[in-house]
Amino acid sequence: MAPDSRTDVELLRLIAEGDRPAFEELYRRYARSVLGMALRRIGDRGRAEDAAQDTFASVWRSASRYDPSRGRPASWLYAVARNAIVDGLRRRPDPTVADPPDIATGDPGPADAAETDWVSWRVHRALETLPGNERSLVELAYWSGMSQSEIAEYLGLPLGTVKTRTRAALGRLANELEGELG
Amino acid sequence: MTDLNDILGAELEPSERERLEHVHTLLVQAGPPPELPPALEHAPAPPAARVVPFPRRYRFTALAAAAVAACALFGIGYLVGGAGGRTEPVRTVAMSGASQATAQLDLFEVDAAGNWPMELRVAGLPAGRYELWLTRDGKLAETCGVFAVADGETTVPLNAPYSLKSFDGWVVVPSGDTTPVLTT
Repeated sequence: MAPDSRTDVELLRLIAEGDRPAFEELYRRYARSVLGMALRRIGDRGRAEDAAQDTFASVWRSASRYDPSRGRPASWLYAVARNAIVDGLRRRPDPTVADPPDIATGDPGPADAAETDWVSWRVHRALETLPGNERSLVELAYWSGMSQSEIAEYLGLPLGTVKTRTRAALGRLANELEGELG
Repeated sequence: MTDLNDILGAELEPSERERLEHVHTLLVQAGPPPELPPALEHAPAPPAARVVPFPRRYRFTALAAAAVAACALFGIGYLVGGAGGRTEPVRTVAMSGASQATAQLDLFEVDAAGNWPMELRVAGLPAGRYELWLTRDGKLAETCGVFAVADGETTVPLNAPYSLKSFDGWVVVPSGDTTPVLTT
């Protein structure tokens, strides 16, 4: 299937008019970013999945409020997701967790956590723009623990092809991160 | 993990190398994106519009008008579509297998007891009896029923009386076997 060339701005405009396929496409592009952020903030998988659903319900309701002159869609969606996740935490506090203790922990502070959230958001969103074979190569290269030779053997591809495609994928990601998502 | 120098080689322009090194740093910082569970494979159904109550003095009129409209629409729907229609699915899961076997699993609104009514459309499987299973960590976890397939396309209603969030996929196996012939 050919990739959908519509921009996020165009999709949001259509969603504001109630266009369900546009909503599906935006969901495809951002679902993993949203779930990733929810998992980092909430921890519990079931509640994170609920928060991800809440986020997209919120996108559906508020797409008409997106104003392209005030920022990029990725930033707007990030804010919608963050708010939906925080609202969800307030509405459905984890009953198994008591109030946090008043002691310093080794966890990152709010500023560091926000920075990590934003980087992950952009990178995961950019990954969705890659063709499937390149995305798999990047995911294998970075998160499977395999070397390039092991990936080549695993996929049954020549080592040179794996390197060339992975390099091309990194270039595409760089373009994407410097462009609309930057 | 893959060594970046192994990917980039030595012949890259310094500016391009710097660009790709930056992406490399971001990828390492971001960590892997999560896999979407079956329950999140598709966008959620758009939420219903918010309810705005009528002023009290119009409430009876509005209810009466709504009842009349509902009866009229039901009548039209009954005449046009017959009595056996279903609502729109809230999730659709695509499955595929060897020899171009495919399936589409439509999940409908879960009921108050936790049943997910489903409709499975299968094509390309040899005639026989099969089972639909939910999987966890790649293993058969809970069955969603047995069905028979004839040559051509078969459509069959099934039910999943489980919380789908605790599973990570669907498979179809020949009845009594554990080797999937269709997977998500």
